[in-house]
Amino acid sequence: MNGIWANLVRELRAYFFSPLAYVVLTLLMLINGFVFTLIVSFLNDPRASGAAAPLQLFFGQTLFFWLVLLFVAPVLTMRLVSEERRSGTIEVLMTAPVTETQIVVGKYLAALTFYVFLWLPTLVYAGVIAYFSELDWGPVASGYLGVLGIGALFLSIGTFASTLSRSQLVAAIATFTLLMPLFVFGLLESLFNSELLKTAFGYLNLWQHMDEFAKGIVDTRRLVYYVSASVFFLFLASRALEARKWR
Amino acid sequence: MIEAQNLTRRYGDFLAVDRISFSVDEGEIVGILGPNGAGKTTTIRMITGFLPPSSGRVTVAGRDLIESSMEARRELGYLPENVALYTEMRVVEYLAYRARLFGLKGSEAKRSIGEALERCLLTDVQDQIIGTLSKGYRQRVGLATAILHRPKVLVLDEPTIGLDPKQIVSIRALIRGLAKESTLLLSTHILPEVELLCDRVVIIDRGQIVAQGTPEDLRESWLGNPVVRVELESAAPGAVDRFRAVDGVVDARQDGEHPERIELECAAGRDVRAEVFRAAVDGGLTLLELTEAKASLEDVFVRLTTTDAAREVPEEAAEPAVEEVAS
Repeated sequence: MNGIWANLVRELRAYFFSPLAYVVLTLLMLINGFVFTLIVSFLNDPRASGAAAPLQLFFGQTLFFWLVLLFVAPVLTMRLVSEERRSGTIEVLMTAPVTETQIVVGKYLAALTFYVFLWLPTLVYAGVIAYFSELDWGPVASGYLGVLGIGALFLSIGTFASTLSRSQLVAAIATFTLLMPLFVFGLLESLFNSELLKTAFGYLNLWQHMDEFAKGIVDTRRLVYYVSASVFFLFLASRALEARKWR
Repeated sequence: MIEAQNLTRRYGDFLAVDRISFSVDEGEIVGILGPNGAGKTTTIRMITGFLPPSSGRVTVAGRDLIESSMEARRELGYLPENVALYTEMRVVEYLAYRARLFGLKGSEAKRSIGEALERCLLTDVQDQIIGTLSKGYRQRVGLATAILHRPKVLVLDEPTIGLDPKQIVSIRALIRGLAKESTLLLSTHILPEVELLCDRVVIIDRGQIVAQGTPEDLRESWLGNPVVRVELESAAPGAVDRFRAVDGVVDARQDGEHPERIELECAAGRDVRAEVFRAAVDGGLTLLELTEAKASLEDVFVRLTTTDAAREVPEEAAEPAVEEVAS
């Protein structure tokens, strides 16, 4: 526990002290703000169908959400282990009484915490909607649950990629390369006629997942998928870190 | 406190360390000496558990580094060759992080941090960001990290590399202070450092131990007889024979270019300077210089790591052949 906690606190501090984190935060707020304004003005147009709630569109229906997520995950995780290896701090870290798993989990949780922090400003949008009209908080909560779940999955993949190289750039590109097919596979669902393949790809369709979450549908199968996949990638990360020794 | 048995490490086909065995007793300061690329750092990394050996085993304070790794790591303080620190942290924050890693909490952690800061003379810079510190200060932060959890064994890899002479002096003083409480293993290729600090030396070359013992032992067993240097006012015929006749002098040699300089090889353990002086006076010779030439560990080192003959001598060569002094 000491190992996890110590590394979590340290990494979190490192996030808040790095300019990169603020660049990401600013960018995310700009893009989200822009998308939110777009949605609100779209729905305010009398010609709009008006059936959808603004935050439902915000979480489920725009490509921006995914673009942001696909870039944020590599950027947040690329440093985690790569930098330790590049600078050599890994040597004193790995000779302290901490296991590889503790290090990986501590770092991952720090990334996840910072990721949650990045989304906090969007609560303002919910506040704005609630102030000017009625807001059903249920779908908003489930929307955030989806954001957390998919973020957890993406960040675990990023953490794993970061253990593979001492270069942050390589780690980021590797993460992106792993995330892209994961995201695109789901979209291929509609291309299949076979019932089996349709179901299989449908199960992985993150876009669909997010749309459901935004509508207020919490399907535990999705959550099980995110959690188990995250655990799997963290396991791989800890193994990859251990493998360093045998090269 | 440290027990290394048949440590071997391969990187692919390259054999970096080949069956190294040695031990460090409690309270001892042992230096690992070797030219660059001899396998010092690899050996050190295996002893700290950062690299597992390809074969062989290490125990630290009686705990196996592989089987009870966590317990062994608790007994160990390590200063790696390139002291890498988290540059965005303040000194005191970094030490607090390290304390947390070792499970030190509350007042205990505070006390350990305060003590480490004080002993490494870091109190003045404790609130500085590590990235802004000079190399000497960073080295001290590294040392403070190593002693923070009061380990029984300290392992220092090239502790004075890259420092200016003043910093070197202060780091050495610090190390000597630390040695009073812990067992110390340090690697270096700086010879005076070994002579100043170490009780015992292990010399490594090309991944193998070529000699080990106290600096005195090594000098005696590898460099043969003591030498006395004599310089006369002017070269005098018969001076060499006169000195050769002095009791305790084994041989006398005249310098080819400067015939007024004479080197006397003496029997082991004899100080012949008084007799040489009298012999010179009796012979009407005027002495300008009369010094005991202390063979340095450097000579041993150079011999061991450059001549092929040395490599064929087994590690525990207790009675090496007495050869000519190479100076």
